[in-house]
Amino acid sequence: MMASRLWRLVRPVACNLSRTSALNNCAAPALSHGLRFQTTEAGSSKPTVASPSPLVKQQLTDFGAYVAECLPKYVQKVEVSHHGDLEVMIHPDGAIPVLSFLKDHTNAQFVNIVDIAGVDKPTLENRFEIVYMLMSLQFNARIRVKTYTDELTPIDSVCSVFQGANWYEREIWDMYGVFFANHPDLRRILTDYGFEGHPFRKDFPLSGYVEVRYDDEVKRVVVEPIELSQEFRKFEANTPWETFPNFRQVEGGETEAAAKPEEKQ
Amino acid sequence: MATRSVQQGLKQVKPMLSVDRTEARRRVLNLYKAWYRQVPYVVKDFHIPVTVEQGRAKVREMFLKNKHVSDVRAIDMLVIKGQMDLVETANIWKQRNHIMMFFQDTVNPKPADFLSKFYEGQD
Amino acid sequence: MASAVVRLAGRLRSCARLVNTRPMSSATSAAGSTEAALDTVEPEHKDITITVDEKMDISSFTGVPDEHIKTRTVRIFVPAANAMQSGTFNPRRWRMEFDERQRWENPLMGWSSTGDPLSNTEVNFMSKEDAIAFCEKNGWDWFIEAEKKPTPKRKSYGANFSWDKRTRRSTK
Repeated sequence: MMASRLWRLVRPVACNLSRTSALNNCAAPALSHGLRFQTTEAGSSKPTVASPSPLVKQQLTDFGAYVAECLPKYVQKVEVSHHGDLEVMIHPDGAIPVLSFLKDHTNAQFVNIVDIAGVDKPTLENRFEIVYMLMSLQFNARIRVKTYTDELTPIDSVCSVFQGANWYEREIWDMYGVFFANHPDLRRILTDYGFEGHPFRKDFPLSGYVEVRYDDEVKRVVVEPIELSQEFRKFEANTPWETFPNFRQVEGGETEAAAKPEEKQ
Repeated sequence: MATRSVQQGLKQVKPMLSVDRTEARRRVLNLYKAWYRQVPYVVKDFHIPVTVEQGRAKVREMFLKNKHVSDVRAIDMLVIKGQMDLVETANIWKQRNHIMMFFQDTVNPKPADFLSKFYEGQD
Repeated sequence: MASAVVRLAGRLRSCARLVNTRPMSSATSAAGSTEAALDTVEPEHKDITITVDEKMDISSFTGVPDEHIKTRTVRIFVPAANAMQSGTFNPRRWRMEFDERQRWENPLMGWSSTGDPLSNTEVNFMSKEDAIAFCEKNGWDWFIEAEKKPTPKRKSYGANFSWDKRTRRSTK
């Protein structure tokens, strides 16, 4: 029973290992391709982008597996990317426990919060992704913790764990409209007072909905619905090429691109 | 994930602040009262060309604009935003123009009937 | 928020009775008797779930002006394939776009002007169901433009010389 549970935990890591090794195999032709653009003498095996050593990668993988083992309730998936970044995908309820674990554990000591980022993917039901980026000075390591939410589901504020998260969470609240529960001082940080909407959402127009000007008659700045004297031109800005073939949507099956396993019951 | 249909039904979710309609209603009423009591101070502090009655009517209008909202979490979200607005107003972080944004007094209403559309030069 | 309230009380500037929006803290210092009565029943909200409608309506607080919720129609469609010999990924996504609004010619420069902030907004989706759900929760009317599947015809060079495949026709 225990062993099976452990295997279930390790399996996602194992899957990702196989994926990363596949990427490593691909790296060989990319290497020779890159050589044509290099000024170094032929035969040099120095790639343009340094890939982390297998040892480092193994350490990251082991640490990821350890985290998944310690917090089975919250950790859904652990990934080590091609560039040697460790990513831990967690359930939204686990923001505080996982981050305090990573901060306080002797072998982690991720005491430094570098940033908290938000990502908007309107195609998903939980459209907002919150990414906590942590750094451990002690071990010279970085980690990313990812979780998800929608417009109406609050996420626990991690200000009680990291003081520095205060303004980052305010920024995400302001830009994406994700509500952080128990935040000490949640209010706007970048937009003007009275501004409505959340500018980083994908459905927010580039121009915004209002324009601001000084009105001489009423002697103050007034806000009015926008009128563009020259309309923005419409370009097809999206690439026609498939960007992530490895994350292709499988017909009738589970999508890899979603990268969001269902909640653990 | 890919085949997500618009479903009709109920689901269990994490509450934002209130656990039921009664609590959400109480929060809305509290916020309304706070705004109502704040209006005279707003009028005085910001020197806006609005009377207290007009200000209270505007507060009422802003609240009634969302009276159709029935989702407890949506109500909470509106209360949170209204609360933040109130704090910004009460602390005078806002300026006159921010307060007057509620009134939109320089915006001309869009022509609705045929003749006014004709005068505006719109079809 | 608590500090803001303290500051308020100190300045005696206003009587703002701030509503308690945080479940854990006690209500504001300036709270009157009604608010104080509320606080005694603040429940512990951890691990509580509430039952709500499956259909989410976020239109009341997205910040989109009413005019652009009630009067807009969204077109959900598959973007056209790139006409060049380029990538073929365009038709494999779904996209939503808003209806056209009136434009006018700028009297000074002759630019085409618009009063429609959403005229250039488009959002991509992986499937049309996602796009529909997105429009539904934002309160926009939507319609779907059917996907145009190309029907490749079978061609063979040899058919040019066949007596019964009418691929070539005399012009005279």
